[in-house]
Amino acid sequence: MKRVWQHPEESNTGRRYWRSLGEYAATPEFNEQLGREFDPGIAGETDEQRESSRREFMKIMGGVAALSGLTLTSCRRPLQKIMPFTKHVEWVIPGKPLLYATAMPRPWGASPMVVVTHEGRPTHLQGNPLHPSGAGLDIFAQASILDLYNPERAQKPAYRGKEKGWSHFQKDVSEWIEAWKKDGGEGTGLLLNPGTSPTRAGLLADFAKACPKAKIYEYEPINRANQDAAVKAVLGEDVALLPKFAMADRLFSLDCDFVGLDTLSETATRDFMKRRAPEKKGESMNRLYILENRYTLTGGISDHRKPLAASLIPMAAAVLAEEVGKLTGDASLQQAAATLAAGADAKLREWIAPAAKDLFENKGKSLVLAGLRHSQAVHALVLGINNVLGAFGATLEAVKVESGYKAADATELTADLKGNKINHLIVLAESDPAYDLEDVFTLLKGLEKRPMVTHLTDRPKHTTAFSSWALPAAHYLESWSDVRSADGTYSVVQPMIQPLFDGASVNDILLSLLGRKKFGASVAVVAKDAAPAKPESDAAYEAVKATFAKMAGGWDDEKWNNTLRDGFLAGVIFDRASATFNTSGFSALAGKADKPLAPTKDSMEIVLTPDAKMWDGRYADNAWLQEAPDPVTKLTWDNAAWLSPKTFAALGLKKDGDRLKVTVGGASLNIPALSAPGHAHNSVTIPLGYGQKSFSVVGNERGFNAYSLRSGSASLVLNGAKVEKADGNYALAITQDNYTMEGRAQVREGTKDRFDKNETFAQTEGMDSHIPPAELTLYKGRVGVKSKENPDGFDYENEHQWGMVIDLAKCIGCSACIVACQSENNIPVVGKDQVARGRVMQWIRMDRYFSTSGGVEDRGVADIEELENPEMIHQPVACQQCESAPCETVCPVNATVHTEEGLNAMAYNRCIGTRYCANNCPYTARRFNYFDYNKRNPLIDTTLPLIGKVPNLYAGPLGEKTQNETARLQKNPNVTVRMRGVIEKCTYCVQRLETAKINQRRIGRDDKNNLRVPLDSVKTACQASCPAEAIEFGDLANKKSSVNRWKDSPRNYQVLKYIGTRPRTSYLARIRNINPDPLMPGGDRKVKTGEASLNKA
Amino acid sequence: MGNQFPRWTNWIPLQIAIMAIFLVAGVALGVTYYFTPKYTKVGYEPTQPVPFSHKQHVGEVGLDCRYCHSFVEVSGHANVPTNQTCLNCHGPDKGQIKKDSEKLAMVRDADKFNTPIKWAKVHKSPDYVYFNHSVHLNRGVSCQNCHGQINEMEVVRHAEPHSMGWCLDCHRNPENKLRPLDQVTNLTYKPEDLTREAFYGNLAAKGVKVEDMAKLVAGDKSESSPQDLNQLVALAQKKFGSKVTQVEVGRQLKEHWRIAPPETCAACHR
Repeated sequence: MKRVWQHPEESNTGRRYWRSLGEYAATPEFNEQLGREFDPGIAGETDEQRESSRREFMKIMGGVAALSGLTLTSCRRPLQKIMPFTKHVEWVIPGKPLLYATAMPRPWGASPMVVVTHEGRPTHLQGNPLHPSGAGLDIFAQASILDLYNPERAQKPAYRGKEKGWSHFQKDVSEWIEAWKKDGGEGTGLLLNPGTSPTRAGLLADFAKACPKAKIYEYEPINRANQDAAVKAVLGEDVALLPKFAMADRLFSLDCDFVGLDTLSETATRDFMKRRAPEKKGESMNRLYILENRYTLTGGISDHRKPLAASLIPMAAAVLAEEVGKLTGDASLQQAAATLAAGADAKLREWIAPAAKDLFENKGKSLVLAGLRHSQAVHALVLGINNVLGAFGATLEAVKVESGYKAADATELTADLKGNKINHLIVLAESDPAYDLEDVFTLLKGLEKRPMVTHLTDRPKHTTAFSSWALPAAHYLESWSDVRSADGTYSVVQPMIQPLFDGASVNDILLSLLGRKKFGASVAVVAKDAAPAKPESDAAYEAVKATFAKMAGGWDDEKWNNTLRDGFLAGVIFDRASATFNTSGFSALAGKADKPLAPTKDSMEIVLTPDAKMWDGRYADNAWLQEAPDPVTKLTWDNAAWLSPKTFAALGLKKDGDRLKVTVGGASLNIPALSAPGHAHNSVTIPLGYGQKSFSVVGNERGFNAYSLRSGSASLVLNGAKVEKADGNYALAITQDNYTMEGRAQVREGTKDRFDKNETFAQTEGMDSHIPPAELTLYKGRVGVKSKENPDGFDYENEHQWGMVIDLAKCIGCSACIVACQSENNIPVVGKDQVARGRVMQWIRMDRYFSTSGGVEDRGVADIEELENPEMIHQPVACQQCESAPCETVCPVNATVHTEEGLNAMAYNRCIGTRYCANNCPYTARRFNYFDYNKRNPLIDTTLPLIGKVPNLYAGPLGEKTQNETARLQKNPNVTVRMRGVIEKCTYCVQRLETAKINQRRIGRDDKNNLRVPLDSVKTACQASCPAEAIEFGDLANKKSSVNRWKDSPRNYQVLKYIGTRPRTSYLARIRNINPDPLMPGGDRKVKTGEASLNKA
Repeated sequence: MGNQFPRWTNWIPLQIAIMAIFLVAGVALGVTYYFTPKYTKVGYEPTQPVPFSHKQHVGEVGLDCRYCHSFVEVSGHANVPTNQTCLNCHGPDKGQIKKDSEKLAMVRDADKFNTPIKWAKVHKSPDYVYFNHSVHLNRGVSCQNCHGQINEMEVVRHAEPHSMGWCLDCHRNPENKLRPLDQVTNLTYKPEDLTREAFYGNLAAKGVKVEDMAKLVAGDKSESSPQDLNQLVALAQKKFGSKVTQVEVGRQLKEHWRIAPPETCAACHR
């Protein structure tokens, strides 16, 4: 059924918002699908077929019913057991979750978090609000809990493919140690990812002391080596930079995706976004200029954006340096940039000059950033610019860091491998070096005397194939360690659970290499009935305690306990470095830059980026991440080459997924292409991390391996690529046109200028100015007092009234909320095939809109020029909890009803799956379980006799029922695991609300004035995860609640208000802070953001 | 052609129709009785691995429910005790009561070998029902209301149907079950055992005004308005007789504790 809504005419705001190129061009295919909840075309059936299959079904069911009447199956009640603990476990109360603070080690620092554990099982992660840099969690940290329960993790130590116990490994280690004592570790190499753990650093320093001839290599594909090198040359040794986003009024980003994948600090997103949501007119905002070759999340929230090929970023940096140099009168800066800036496009200079002026006028409050993939020269220039803009000490802080040991990089590793200088390589890296440094490891195959490889890994990887010893790695939730955040805050990583699969951590291995830990005793499986080993006996625990004592200036039990409780050691941060700007070092480095070449049709550039879900490939086994749509392209389960629509058309490609052959430097890759609006021309972006040969069904052979295009650890920007059309089309599962919402003015935004002139502009857009402004809530009246508006006499004033506000000015679209919701609410993964059929189950749909000037309907065809630089805006949509909900009136069995607290509740056990509700939901927020996704593995094929291979879901009762024990451990016990044939949707985390209410009633007992949940104490999972703090949730009946403050914001509006559903979730309009300088080019960007309707009104 | 069928066969359709009515009615009656929790659940009495007698421990010795089910007021689950709890009295190094008893062999083994005792589950709500013990106990619903006279059971049996309709009976009319908080685990409680002076006195001590209590005692007719507790007790005596009644207690508690049991689906299903 296609429902028909009578949408009013769209008022002319001068902007048009669209989600896909199909919608942009208003193609008949898109219009047909628009507003359809269940697309019959996707199922591949005609109406006639459907009708006959319905009759068939009735026939069979009739037969089944008749037969079942004949046999009465056994009615005996199955005996169930209750098994209490034999000895009471401290703190554990059956049925109550325990929360622990810990942190996830990250390349740039840490993600401080709170772990929710149920009877010892960690089930959900959320940000640690106590931690100085703890806001929400990003998508990777949020999803990392699923890795803990990956049933295909490495489970036992193996030597040459054969399972061996830890004691065998210990025997080998003892021999190694003996040998090292003699030769000083000659020929031994340790390969790790850079990390921030002081304990690890200490152990590595000890190792370097014990084996002075052994080498320590540190490498990961997505690294900040160029930035570090520039900082070292310009500011000196042992200095790191810490941007202070809260202090910056004007920012200029040279391809730096700092709220997305170029993470510089834990607080970047929170601090930056805080300055972008004015509460009332006249409030100051920050302003962001960005140059980038593809749309990133940072580009989406920017105020001025210009697509620029990544190869030209050095030139742009030089132009900016020149322009800033001119304004400040700094000759050395101009001089350093002169050669590089020569020959720059006049248009680029026109764009940069007013921006430079803006930066200069806000001297001391401005900040320039460069993407981590760019060269040392770019980073040096940026340091130079920041220096003259007075950023140091204001918006950019230099802090003292020290590692304590010397590490070599990947270039050295390559050289040593080639020179046959390594005979034993111990790989402790989380990334997969045989995959991301593929050609280096292929070298090994050719060597006469192959070095022995020992590999600590969480799952079988490419490197495992090269290794003699493959050791199972413990998850960070299973081991003792510690980390320092970007600002130096010290946190202890504490285990939540005994290693599920007998794994060991990096610290464990280092300790054993130092002879301070003996495997086989404490880590090996303890006897079945024996009590678990005491943590005191764990060497890693002792090592962390020793580090803590150093950090805290002496052992202190109370401090230690407080650190474990709060998740950080109060008062310990990095010291400020007294860095002086080294002008000669700067000039030398800035002058070293190669002349940038603009990419052309015949010699394109390839930009390799970390993927928004796979990062460098290490999360390939995480099904939540695989299925989370890419924030920009909305692609799931795959990667693809992104091209600008113009280049896409010029190459003769017709539709998304058409194949492309990319050849660069002798390597070539056949990969599907995606037309990406806002992309630079003659530039191809390929996200990394895909195309792995994994041993698991989740990660195996998903997408295409872009590492194969580069050699060694070379730059991530490759020039001189030949790109041509290849035959065929590859089916991509893109969610953008699934669950499309129809109607007017769903996303609203305006310029700061407009907001200052007309604060409430967002409330009058669309049809909203015609709706009376009266208080429209249905929830009025007092208990027992029956009135016309409250016929049942509910106690609305004394009960909670839940509501939510989402601030589009703060939302960056990172999709962490989607995964948080999945983790909290037991939402299943459905697999690529089902996603392609429009059956993705995630309750939160992150709509990504592009916007261009209106009027395309008149033209009928897409204007390719216009697609060069549209604006991008994200809007998360889940159930809006309508007070007057269209879904409720159509449910034949009352499975979806309203509660007195304003929730649109779902009784899953009552749902019979008519799907009327989904069909009637104007926000398309309801999801249907087409299959038993929780019981049947949607990712595998089943071979049926006679028929052959079919997707497991379609094999019916003959399919494999994978009752995945380990994955079940992650499920939230407070939420039903839904079965086939049931509709599900967001209920504002009703389990959290009920728990909070019950808890309050338990405390209040007979005190009737103490039954309300304390102000703002309940958080929904999405709210707790949001790194930008863009979601506010709370009690509308309490006038003091934060959610009410947000609801009172002049930017507050409801989506599809004119259809009268009275949603409880509302949105705050986005504000863009456009540079009013008439010289600033911006075309339609600058003028049209809503100006037209202002003039009309 | 002669008549193939005798005359009486003309009545067969009618007979069948009448039979069918009885049959359908019979089946309907059977289903409503035999297929409901009233029949399928009540009386369920599985044999437990350890012959623990609630009758002896609660009824005779007088242990409070919360001695073993220690988190029942805190958590949604009423925890089954660890065998350390058993050994507090029966343990060789503790109370030493019947420390060598045959019946306790499994408890001692559980402690020695660290293997839990596999108790048979008696009260099982479906997976989609999220019942919470703590909120009921803290708001004046007794153990006995749902689990019956545990103090008289040698082996625990399912005493109440625990069907949704049965839950709603109480959620709609909580005043029929509410009792003072200190009586919640008293399995032999009867409202008659309360004294009016203490009951109203306790409410007054919690800050409830005499006039508010009086309103509920007297109903809508406010012929006399008591000024103090003594007058209130006198009024209640006049109204409800010499013994305290459930209606009297329930009404007061419902109003003054603001008991408003949820009736929406989301309260128990999510």
